[in-house]
Parts: sequence; C-alpha cells; structure tokens
Amino acid sequence: MALLKVENIAKTFGGVCAVNGFSMEIDRGEVVGIIGPNGAGKTTIFNLISKVYKTDCGKLWLDGTDISAYSQEQAARSGIGRTFQNIRLFTGLSVLDNVKVSCDYKPRYTLLEAILSLPRTIKGKKKTECEAVECLKAVGLERFADERPGNLPYGMQRRLEIARALALKPKVLMLDEPAAGLNPEECVELVSFLKEVIKRFDLALIIIEHRMDVVMNLCDRIYVQDFGKNIGVGTPLEIQNNPKVLAAYLGEGDD
Amino acid sequence: MNDYVASLIQTTCITMIGVISIFPLTGMTGLFSFGQAAYMAVGAYVSGIAAVKFGLPFWLCLVLGVCVSGVMAVIIGLPTLKLRKDYFALMSLCLGEAVTAVLNKFGAITGGAAGLSNIPKRATMLMIVLSTIAVIAMVGLFKSSRFGRMSLAIKTDELAAKSFGINVFAHKMKVYIFTSMIAGFAGVLYAFYLTYLDPNLFGWTRSSEWVIFLFFGGVNSLTGSVISTIFLTTLPEVLRFASSARIVMYTVMILLVINFMPSGLLGEKEFSIPKIIKFFKNHFHKKSRIGGEG
Amino acid sequence: MLFFVQQFVNGLSRGAVYALIAVGFALIFSVLKFSNFAHGGLISVAAYAGYYFSSKFNFPPVLAVACTALVGGVMGVVLDLIAFRNLRKRNSSNIYYFVSSITCGILFMNILTLMFGTTFYTIKPFFKSPIIHIGDLIMLKMDVAILLISVGLLAALMLLINKTKMGLALRIVSIDRDTAALMGINSNVIITVTFMIAGGLAGISGILLGSNFTIDPFLGNMVVKGFIASVIGGLGSLPGAIMGALLLGVMEVVFTVLVGDILSPAIIFVITLLFLLLRPQGISGQFIAEKA
Repeated sequence: MALLKVENIAKTFGGVCAVNGFSMEIDRGEVVGIIGPNGAGKTTIFNLISKVYKTDCGKLWLDGTDISAYSQEQAARSGIGRTFQNIRLFTGLSVLDNVKVSCDYKPRYTLLEAILSLPRTIKGKKKTECEAVECLKAVGLERFADERPGNLPYGMQRRLEIARALALKPKVLMLDEPAAGLNPEECVELVSFLKEVIKRFDLALIIIEHRMDVVMNLCDRIYVQDFGKNIGVGTPLEIQNNPKVLAAYLGEGDD
Repeated sequence: MNDYVASLIQTTCITMIGVISIFPLTGMTGLFSFGQAAYMAVGAYVSGIAAVKFGLPFWLCLVLGVCVSGVMAVIIGLPTLKLRKDYFALMSLCLGEAVTAVLNKFGAITGGAAGLSNIPKRATMLMIVLSTIAVIAMVGLFKSSRFGRMSLAIKTDELAAKSFGINVFAHKMKVYIFTSMIAGFAGVLYAFYLTYLDPNLFGWTRSSEWVIFLFFGGVNSLTGSVISTIFLTTLPEVLRFASSARIVMYTVMILLVINFMPSGLLGEKEFSIPKIIKFFKNHFHKKSRIGGEG
Repeated sequence: MLFFVQQFVNGLSRGAVYALIAVGFALIFSVLKFSNFAHGGLISVAAYAGYYFSSKFNFPPVLAVACTALVGGVMGVVLDLIAFRNLRKRNSSNIYYFVSSITCGILFMNILTLMFGTTFYTIKPFFKSPIIHIGDLIMLKMDVAILLISVGLLAALMLLINKTKMGLALRIVSIDRDTAALMGINSNVIITVTFMIAGGLAGISGILLGSNFTIDPFLGNMVVKGFIASVIGGLGSLPGAIMGALLLGVMEVVFTVLVGDILSPAIIFVITLLFLLLRPQGISGQFIAEKA
C-alpha cells in the first residue's frame, strides 16, 4: 500500500461544501502538488489529513494503519507534519525553542524528573537540543537560534516553519504555500532545497502552491482542485495540457 | 532578628510560594485561575486536621496535605480544563467560594467559622525560607524543560501546538496538578506557622492577589514574580498601612503597571547565573583589553 | 404545594436581583468581549451614592434612582479611562482587560472601605408597606419592582441597540473595531457611551440592591452571580442574561431549601459546572467565539 492513502474525504461547513470527495495516494520520495484557484478547498484538504477537522466521510491510511479516527496530536505523532498558510510560529519562544517543541511530546523525561533535574532530564534535553540544531542547520537558520521568530524576515520565518515540521521526523510533510513571498531565484533555491530534504529525511512531500514554476519543477504528480472537486490528476506535462484545468485557471473563451 | 521582621519574612515567603505556584498555570500556560487559594485551603486544613484531630507527625501531615490537594486538582481539573478559557476562569472563581463554604459547613471536623486552632508550630523560619527557594528552583526547572516550552506553545497557539503532537488537555492537567500541589504545600506551611486557620482566609481575594502580583512582576518572568511579591508585601508594611489602605495602594500600582507597562515590571527578563557570568566576563575583558593594548 | 410555589416565587425574586446585575454585565461583554468585574465596584459605589441621595438628601425614590444612575454613568466613564483605555490603544489581549477590571473592582471597594468603614448603612425603604400578597403568595414589593425595572431596562436597551443609529454603531464596534473605524465610526466615543450606559445600569442596580440588602463596600461581589447568569443565559445575549438570572435564582433557592444556606456557593459551583459542560452556549444559544 502507499505510504499515505486518502480515500474520498470530504468536508462541508454549513451550506458550503469545501471538499467534495478527495482521494490521493503518495509514496516515500514522491512529491505531490495540490493546486487550484483560491477557495478551491486546498487548505481544507490539509486540515482533513492533519486531522484539524474531522472528515465527513471517507478514510485515511498512513503506512498501512487506519488513521481516520485519529486526533490532531495522534496524527502528528504518527508522522504527519505540516506548515500553515498564515505563519503560526510560537512567538513567545526563541527560534531554537520553536523547533524543540516538535520533540517535546516525546516522554524523554517526566515532570518529576524535570523539576528535580535528574540525569534522564539532562540526557533528554541534550538529545532534543541536538535534533533541533540539526533541523535548523538543514534550513540554514542555526545562526538565529536565540532570536525571536518575529524578528526574522518573512522568508526565514517560512524556513523556520519547515525546520519545525522536520523536527517532528514526519513520514509525510505537508507544506502550505512554501513559496509565498519568494522571488524567482528564491523559488529555484526552494525547489532544490526541498528535493534535498526529501532525499535526506526520506519522506513524502505534499505541497499546496500557486507558483507554477515551483509546482512544475518539483512535483511528480499534481492534483487540481476547483470548488472542492478534483478536476484533474497527472504529471506536470499532462496537467499543463488538460483542457479542464486550463478552463478553470484561465476561463473559457477565446485565447 | 526581631519578631516583626521574622514574621514579615515568613508571610512574604508563603505568599511567594503561592504566587510562584500560579506562574506555570497562568503565566506560562495562560490558564487564568482565581481559585488557586482553594488548594492552599485544602493543604492547610487537611494537614491541620491531621495534626489536631489525629495527632499525626508533621511530615505525615505535610504529605497528606500536598497529596490531597493533588487529588482534588485531578477531580476539579478533569471537567473544568475542558472548558474554554473564560469559563475556566469563572469556575475557578466559584471554586474558592465553594471550598470556603464547605469548610464553614462541616464545622465538626474543620472548626467551622470559629476556626481550627492549636495546630503545633512546626514551621520554622529556616524551613519556610528553604522551601521557598526550593519551589523557585523547581518552577525554574519546569520553565526550562520541555514542559515549560509546551506551556508557552499552548498559550500562544493551541491549534499549532496540537499539530506538533502535544496532547493539550493532558498537559494542562499535569500543570494544574503540579501547581495545585505547590499551593497545597503553601497551605501546609501556613497552617503550621500560623497555628490557626479560618475558612475565610482562602477566598477569591487571596487568589486574585496572587494573579495581580504575577502581573505586576511580568507574566512571563519568574524573577518578576519573586521581586513583585517582595515589593508589594513589604512596602505597605514599611509604610505602616492598614489592610484596606494597603490594598488600595497596590491596586493603584497594578493599574499603573497595566496601563503603562503591560508586560509587567520585568516583562520577560529572567535572572540567570550564566547571564551574570557573561556580564562580568565582558566587563573584565574590556578592562584587560584597554590595559593590554600597546 | 403552596410551599413550593412560594419557593419558586422567592427564587424569581432573587433572580430579579441577579438580572439587574446581569444586564449591565452582559452589555459590556457583548460590545467589548470581556468580563468586566469592575461592574461590581460600580455597583458598590452606586449603593453608597444611593444612600446619600435617598437617606441623606431625602430625594423621592424616582429622583434618587435617576441621580444614582447619573453617578453610575460618570463612574463608568472614569472606569474606562483608568482601566481600559490604554489597553485599547495598545491592542492588548483580553486577559489584561479581565485582570484590570478585577483590580479596579477591588480598588473601588477598598476605597469605599476607607471612606465609610464597616458601619452598616441602610437606604430608606421605597415602599411604605413592603409586602404584596398575590393570593396566598408573598412577595416583597421591592422584588417585584426590581423585576419590572430589569425587564423594562432590558426592553429599553434592546430598543436602543436594534432600532437606533447609536445602537447600530454599538453593534458594529462589537463585531469589528478596526473596520468600524474605517467606516468613520469613532469607536472611542462609542465605547465611552457603552460604559456610560453600563455605569448607569450599575447605578440603578446599586441603589436598588442597596435598599434590598444592607450597604457594605463588598455588595458588588454579587457581580459574580451576574457573570454566572450571563453564562447560563448565553454570553453576549441580553435577554439570555435575564433568563439565566431567573433560572439561577430559582435553582439557588430550591437547593438552599434542600441543603441549607451555608453550602450555597458549593451548590452554585456544581450547577454552573454542569451547565457549562452540558450546554456551553447557554439558553439563548449564542456562542461568542473566543478571541484568538
């Protein structure tokens, strides 16, 4: 079975159907892109997979396990990591601490051991520090370990979000508009950076993106959403020539 | 040392334990509770009754007081921590009054409105001061551990915290039980220092006092809590204010701080030994450079 | 049978008192989205003002109430100035308003203690014959008056909010202050008006409560009941606040009869908790989303 298998998930809010039956499969080392006009329900799909919302129907499997009933934190622990469309860093924590948070759910030491500073605590803290620094190095932010996230420029905050998600040691990494606010050169860097991350951390990558240069160069497969429905799946080349996709993006009429 | 100063130090320390007990709960996790003094009441009364009615040795009373506080925190925490923040705050307010009511009602055991007297005076100055230092150390270690980080993460953004594997409810319970046990401990010390207990000592005014002291010092600063407690407890004594005037004075000061320095006196700054060492290193390094440069 | 109906009626009487407090409290909550505990402080201040107007200056009841309402309104504006205005400028998070309001409430009540000490003051009773008989049931005229006044104030408030331009501005500011500013609404003025109205309500509450009970600086602690009533009724809903208050009053009286008066706060704790767990959106079903 694929690493992540999503079968017919859906979400309706009141009268609005945000996601109308979405299915997808992805394996380790693969990159899948979800594209579509604004309001197509892309972030809602992320929220369904990462269990921020409960799906109205359908099922999800991660590495063979049925995670349909998992809570948000259970999904994160089993290996679904994500970033957010609007940056949601922990502003009260330093850059390094933000990354360390991803390691904190692991019971490396108990509360009692922490307040008595027993040996297990010291070992656990060292381990967390190592892992966090490694992730910061992977995104090139280790110099700013003690800074406040709010002081970093926008692009670096986005990188910090990725570092934080990587520290979770996810099997599936979901990035919501990682290229937002980047110029064309930075987009090229982002593509090669992400390709390296996939190889180095051995994960599957799902991205929501509007920047076509990133999507076409990075993704193995693309799902196109419009008004909650899927209107096309395929390789970048196939999608570029799909008439329904073109119609949704460019509108009908003479060209 | 004269008696007056000694008693001032001891009451300040006990109050400080109370204020520090709400630092992880309110300051770090953002859970506003105006009922933590209820746990002080539980600790005080359980240990006091154990001594007076059952003649148990001090250490056993202490353990009982703290443990019963913890158990009660589990019972109260389970339903209330699920509520949204302002409802939790409201319930905490009612909790203080509820506990006081229960203490008043069951006078046969608690002495009711007449109070519980003749508790042996077992809390010495040394014990109280050392306990205070120990509590400060423990809470400081809490802050620098993964638990402190998770608290701050939850306070900033609960949804994001969940996305990184944090079981928010379980964490809140742990913090609640931890802080309530510290408050219970303060109660035990109080009982065996004052040797007399009254149900009306532990209502929402005491709880609010703790929250206000916390805010004054800086909601994110442990050092701030320590300093603000010392300042706000001793200053009215120095000025010899009677009770209401003292309260007026520090509510005015809190209002001034809230209005003009909302992150508190110390904001987020903390006293830490590495920082002090760094400061001295820089200072001496400069001096030796000036002397050494040819 | 008569006993139970009488208890029910007693509960309504008590609920009426809470309703008066709850309406003022709910107003601030629905416009400014925070729980204003200083409302209790305003009530205490108003009670003493009411004492002066009615017992010292010997004003007739209606005039005394009107004057107290005025004092309350002014104090409401003062409260805003010293406790909340700077927070608004700085866009502080809700919790600072809450702490500031509690602090102010404590401040007012302790200033009153300094000024008036712990002597008990009483307000001259409004009615010469205090009791009304409805069939075999007994009710205090004062309680009936309080209930009618609460409902009347509520109706007036609803009219103001739903049918006037000022009310529209109030509603807009409560939904989105920044956009309101973009629309040319001076939100500081609107908020000042809100506090004036809430203060006026506190004023009326204060003098009526003061004549129902004795006056002491901590009379205003009843504001907690107002909070609970608002919560039961659905935070932010004005009619809900009244319904919640009546329900709270009846439940309190019923349980007091069953279990005794001393345990009353403990009973309230359990009732409120159950309510919050089972129906957090309150009777009226309004759910104000927690501000992020």
